[in-house]
Amino acid sequence: MSSGVNRQHIRRWRLLVQSGAFLLIVIAPFLNFYLQIDFVQGWYQSIGIGKLWFVSPLEGLESILVAKRLYLPLLVAMVVPVLLAFFMGRVFCGWICPIHFLSDLSDRFIRIFSGKKFRKDHLLLPKTLLWYVLPAELLLTMILGAPLFVFLSPPGLVGREMMMAVFFHTLTPEGLVVVAVLAANLVTQRMFCRYFCPLGALLALIGSKRKLTILHDPTTCTECGLCRRSCPLGLDPQQGEGQSPYCWNCGECVESCKEGSLQLRWWTRSR
Amino acid sequence: MNSHDNSSVEEKREGRRLFLGGLLTSALLTIGVKAEGRLLSSPVTTNRLRPPGAVSEKIFLGTCIRCGRCVEVCPYHCIIPLDTRHGVHAGTPLISVEKIPCYLCMKCVQICPTGTLRPLRQEETRMGMAVVNRHLCYTWLGQTLCRTCYNVCPFTDKAIRLDELRPVIEEKHCTGCGLCTHACPITAEDGSKAVNIEPVYSRDGLV
Repeated sequence: MSSGVNRQHIRRWRLLVQSGAFLLIVIAPFLNFYLQIDFVQGWYQSIGIGKLWFVSPLEGLESILVAKRLYLPLLVAMVVPVLLAFFMGRVFCGWICPIHFLSDLSDRFIRIFSGKKFRKDHLLLPKTLLWYVLPAELLLTMILGAPLFVFLSPPGLVGREMMMAVFFHTLTPEGLVVVAVLAANLVTQRMFCRYFCPLGALLALIGSKRKLTILHDPTTCTECGLCRRSCPLGLDPQQGEGQSPYCWNCGECVESCKEGSLQLRWWTRSR
Repeated sequence: MNSHDNSSVEEKREGRRLFLGGLLTSALLTIGVKAEGRLLSSPVTTNRLRPPGAVSEKIFLGTCIRCGRCVEVCPYHCIIPLDTRHGVHAGTPLISVEKIPCYLCMKCVQICPTGTLRPLRQEETRMGMAVVNRHLCYTWLGQTLCRTCYNVCPFTDKAIRLDELRPVIEEKHCTGCGLCTHACPITAEDGSKAVNIEPVYSRDGLV
């Protein structure tokens, strides 16, 4: 197949969704503070749009584990994010998370200034590290009796800093976590997301049997390796890693493929 | 001879390194031990209260996911998220009633996603209890006839009533909203007012 076939314009769609999701948490504090419009409150720890509530599954789980009691509205608010992860995997990370959005933006800048299309990863750790982070974090949380990720969650902190800036005209020292996570991108792309994000691990776990995956067609593939080099998570779609739980369906590999051998598709495993 | 010199220099360096390391460790330990009390102890004290409907301070730390929605929704901006100086309590909401009191609009309790703030009615709120300092209050001292607290109380003649023109708190009805503390014209040297809110319920919270 020639180039340009099967173009799904994923990058454009993703940028649109990411910008929208980011704008939501930028604009909401202004609306709340200056206009007293409280239709949207919060950020990606918990966000309320009208009467529709969302709670990030990991934060909700920590709250339940530490307090050892159930609160029905909390469970209901976790349903949509959990279903999203169940069917579509880590799409929150790939398409909504403000950390990935900021990393994406900085990547674009670096690409423009360095003139290089791909970046090299300087430090590679085993991918499976992600699976140890989640139970370790939950155990530590339960031992301390304080929800850890809630307090130092990078995606949450982006929203909190935004609100602090608008409401109190100040930033908090916790914001350094965001800076550190973004700086780690210079060593290895999405270093935190790849190996250390417990929320990403939980979403990956929930979505390990997901329906939306990157399908690879070996008959048209020329094994040029462009997809592997374009993957921000260092996965190899040629080896079918687009279907592994680690993949967050961002579609960079699909965009990079000149042969149209990769596609973001719903599929059934029974095929 | 030369190698001997080298090793002694090396030994000296080693010693220095050990010494500096020890110094650093002990300094960190001292800071750690000193800060520990502040980092782990609850920020709730006189006039520093949790928003309405808060669960017991014992589990507040665990249930609150620091989503900040109560902060955003409060139209009076009285709810403030704590910063890292409060250690594990960072990000949790607190109201400093002498600065901005709670006007009992009950918006925060309706949006808390984790039930850390439970939905409840205005008059059921028990953020704390007002306590009149009779050694500071002008009226109780017999200097003037001030009744600011009585006038601003949202539950006039219920939560604060006048006894021979002096303000008296009715424990059964006081919600601890802090309007009286905010309005009180007297400020002591330590920043306290002639009427202060004591978080008497914070240990049990609303069950």
